[in-house]
Amino acid sequence: MSKKGYRRLVLAIFVTGIVLTLAHLCYIIYAYKQCSVIYFIAKELW
Amino acid sequence: MERRGRWLAPVPLVLFFVIINGCMYALFTRRLSNNFGSAASVKMVDVGSYLPHEEGSKLVRIDASLTYSADDAAELPKMDGAAALVPVYAAFIDNLYPKGTVKYEGGTFSDDNYYGENFAADSAMQYNNTVRGFTALVDGKTDLFFSVKPSAEQMKYAQEKGVELVCVPIGREAFVFFVNADNPVDGLTMQQIRDIYAGKITNWKDVGGANRPINAVTRYPGSGSQTTMDAIMKDTPYGRKSVLAVFGASLGYSFRYYLSDMVADSGVKMLSVNGVYPDAGRIRDGSYPIIAEFYAIYRSDNTNPHIPEIVDWILSDEGQEIVGKTGYVSVR
Repeated sequence: MSKKGYRRLVLAIFVTGIVLTLAHLCYIIYAYKQCSVIYFIAKELW
Repeated sequence: MERRGRWLAPVPLVLFFVIINGCMYALFTRRLSNNFGSAASVKMVDVGSYLPHEEGSKLVRIDASLTYSADDAAELPKMDGAAALVPVYAAFIDNLYPKGTVKYEGGTFSDDNYYGENFAADSAMQYNNTVRGFTALVDGKTDLFFSVKPSAEQMKYAQEKGVELVCVPIGREAFVFFVNADNPVDGLTMQQIRDIYAGKITNWKDVGGANRPINAVTRYPGSGSQTTMDAIMKDTPYGRKSVLAVFGASLGYSFRYYLSDMVADSGVKMLSVNGVYPDAGRIRDGSYPIIAEFYAIYRSDNTNPHIPEIVDWILSDEGQEIVGKTGYVSVR
């Protein structure tokens, strides 16, 4: 693979990672607003 | 060798995203069981266990002196209410209304849809919970609504619509604060609670607990819990917290019924307030400091003759017996 192709691959991995992480974050914000607060607190890590 | 090193270079990048998302999952995502979605989700109330006229229902059944026949069915008031009061008003329907007055879209009960239940539009029982249910009452889609005192915003909505409401207290319930079962704190004072929600106390160590930030959880505006919390905080602004607080240990509030019966979950514990634990005896004798009344609410211009009849019955020994046996404290 050429140097250019390799850079594109790394960039694609980075962009995919950012998009998936942002989607995960959006889901958390959306679901938090409608979640069972009792369950949310019961599953807290201690 | 150099070539292999180049191919391995993206691995730390992938690992970085995996670790970040893994942490997000462990801290938040796995705790977000929602009130929407499938029947398997954790719901505020398992309505399917409290269906009128169903065999095996958990509803309180008494020998009521007021009952209606199938001839009255068309004009019987439609009842709706908050999640915590489903077992109460469903029991009123079960004891007073004839079979066939509770109807479901498609003929049978299902809670596998967005809001959870499939009561038909002409069913005597509806379940829209506090916010949507109050709007339905004001808009004339239901006749009797059961909830804690409506919020100032809800009353304003009714006023804007030119609707006057009659609110009759029919029972009492404790408003409780709770934490994870592993949190070493067992109680707070009212002042500590106000200071926590006002942002003056931000770490559990300041109230005798672990050295962890306090995540003071609030509820959505207009809900029964949030309206009661508004009354506790009075004019003090609350609900704003630092971003770091969400990584801390949570403090939540709700009505006792959700924690003691409707949502069986051993992962949380209720806190004593001013040294008093919210058990039924302490609520009944008035020593627990935060008691909220709940109401039967109807439009004053609703001419359905059965409404005052039913409300009077709810306030009678029989109606109050249902309130008490369901797990609440009667007003008489």
